[in-house]
Amino acid sequence: MNSSLLLSVTTFGYFGSTALYLSGVVFRLKSVLTIGSLVALATLIIQTVGIGLRWKESYDLGYGHAPLSNLYESLVFAAWAIMLLYLIMEYRTRQRTLGVFPALFAFLAMAYASFSTSVDAKIQPLLPALKSNWLIAHVITCFLGYAAFAVACGISIVYLIKKTNEAGDKPGAMMAMMPEARQLEELNYQLILFGFLWLSLGIITGSVWANSAWGTYWSWDPKETWSLITWLVYAAVLHARTMQGWRGKRAAWLSLVGFGCVLFTYFGVNFLLSGLHSYATQ
Amino acid sequence: MEQQAGIWQKINKTLGSLKLTLFVFLTLAVFSIIGTLLPQGMTEQDLHERFGPGLGHWIESVGFHDVYRTGWFRFLLLLLCVNLVVCSLQRLPKTLKLIRHEEGDINPDKLLKLSTHVELTTRLPWEETRSRLTRVLSDGFASPKVSLSSDTYTAYAIRGKWSPLMVYVVHSSVLIVLAGALFGSIFGFKGFMQISEGASSDEVILSSGHQQITLPFKVRCDDFDVSFYDTGAPKEFRSDLTVLTNDQPVHRQTIRVNDPMSYEGITFYQSSYGNTLKLAELELSDKAAGISQKMTLRFREGGSIPGTQDRVQLVQYQPDFSRFGPAIGVVLQKHGQQESSGSWILVNMPDFHGNRIENYHVKVLRTEVSQYTGIQVKKDPGVWLVYAGFTAMLIGIGLAYYTSQRKIWVWAAPKGSAQRVVIAGRANKNSLAFEAEFTQLCERFMNDLK
Repeated sequence: MNSSLLLSVTTFGYFGSTALYLSGVVFRLKSVLTIGSLVALATLIIQTVGIGLRWKESYDLGYGHAPLSNLYESLVFAAWAIMLLYLIMEYRTRQRTLGVFPALFAFLAMAYASFSTSVDAKIQPLLPALKSNWLIAHVITCFLGYAAFAVACGISIVYLIKKTNEAGDKPGAMMAMMPEARQLEELNYQLILFGFLWLSLGIITGSVWANSAWGTYWSWDPKETWSLITWLVYAAVLHARTMQGWRGKRAAWLSLVGFGCVLFTYFGVNFLLSGLHSYATQ
Repeated sequence: MEQQAGIWQKINKTLGSLKLTLFVFLTLAVFSIIGTLLPQGMTEQDLHERFGPGLGHWIESVGFHDVYRTGWFRFLLLLLCVNLVVCSLQRLPKTLKLIRHEEGDINPDKLLKLSTHVELTTRLPWEETRSRLTRVLSDGFASPKVSLSSDTYTAYAIRGKWSPLMVYVVHSSVLIVLAGALFGSIFGFKGFMQISEGASSDEVILSSGHQQITLPFKVRCDDFDVSFYDTGAPKEFRSDLTVLTNDQPVHRQTIRVNDPMSYEGITFYQSSYGNTLKLAELELSDKAAGISQKMTLRFREGGSIPGTQDRVQLVQYQPDFSRFGPAIGVVLQKHGQQESSGSWILVNMPDFHGNRIENYHVKVLRTEVSQYTGIQVKKDPGVWLVYAGFTAMLIGIGLAYYTSQRKIWVWAAPKGSAQRVVIAGRANKNSLAFEAEFTQLCERFMNDLK
């Protein structure tokens, strides 16, 4: 048994759980949703073991570093963080209907990591710039933030569909199972605030790390700048909520824009712009 | 006068408004996007080559080739600060008042108007009711302030009292970070040093502009080393540095990427490395004049060709010249001529016909190459302010996320043979979570008052 086998299983597990969550919502079957949750939980456990094994394997190869060092490993970790946060939220709110998007995002991240030819799954040695304890803190905090924003994005989509449905002539029966709009809005807000906390931590750890490695805590590198843009957009979301007329749909749209910024920070910057984080494309 | 006050009030209101906040956030985001899409720090010439004279000139005049240093961007940051300060000053008194306010006059009509409330009656004796109300409230929520008059009981309890202040902590943290950055940019510097192995230097080329400053001490590079993984990827860059004052070694340290050296408030970071020429032995021959001379020159130093009054100097070195291998830029100053002439001499191709300056054919017989280490040098006295701001920001956002201010009021009075009890609550946010907490608390009240 090795890590790549377990991580392949993970990809299919999240696919299965997406399909189950979706059919549960479409056919309004609570039992299918429950199976979806169980599959998601089992997959998360398998993935955790897989990530742990990959960590150990890197020591066996003589490199010895946390599995957070390149695009492949960060995608796997992103999927892990999304599902971890989602399942905690599911447990606390007892709402299984919101699982479609998080599971889908986790599946897409895993599928991209496994099947794309531009993503190298090999365990590589650590570049000198990444040899620091800050690496773990920086990557984990950033990705917890991204994961919270991913789940919030899913909730915003559901919220927008629900609102559009309610406004239409025939409210969809499918949406009846979903939580109330007010609960969606509040969950969305809490996730965004949670994500904002971790994104701030991520930017700050990156900044302190850059200062200890290169002597500058801010250099307007494209990745840094895009994380700041993301931060500004979510700061706008948080402030918009307290303003009349900016709650509800507008805030939901703004949250989608925010997640767009997250995706651009993560992928767009790596492939379209060059800068300090170039190792993330390998 | 009155009109003036009106205008002032309007300006004050606009400067502190949330709309301005959103505007500044989103405009800063847009400007930053421009900064990432357009390569920053391009010169006028680059701009004209890439975008043509018209567009290039326009980009230069609005400053999009250097967005983060333009007046626009600084103005937006200033506006953000003003907005933060004005808005906080406008709202802080109200928040403080709300925190201190203890709702002296609690009556059932007021409580029943709140969206989360419960009304119940109990047949327990009046005294027992009162003590149980106080006990449940302090066990299940927070210890209350109780006031008793002849026939009414009121209690008020609060949790997360200071939570509404966290917003102000976050707001001031942003100001602290920006102040630290400003302080550092005024009283600090950032630059670059290139030191060959064995050599020492005290000159730092500043990254802004082409200015140079001299350090109060010299830094010597005793050794530089790169190691590689089996895959060929670099594993570690390392420089052994010695600090010299008055040419006496006073401090020795090895720096690596992620492991800098600090000395007297100035920090040295391993940043790059490369090869540079140490010395070269040349053979200069002029067949027509029957001259063929060998000479050894140190890099950048000049010397006369033996037997002549012509001087040569090694002025430049390239480890790989247009894929022809290493090349040395040699300059020849002929005796009696005003102008000197020079050429790139290819080291590995001694018979190349271009290895020639004027009447001399130049052959490189031997070179000695030494490594240099590239060091980023920085002094930033504002960094501690920035870090303090970071800490405050994290504490502020963290507590804003994990806490909320929740208030619970209880009012009770005998009504006939029973006692009437009204319980109500309010939270400054997370109303759904608070409703759940409130419902749970009310269940305890009901159980205890049965």
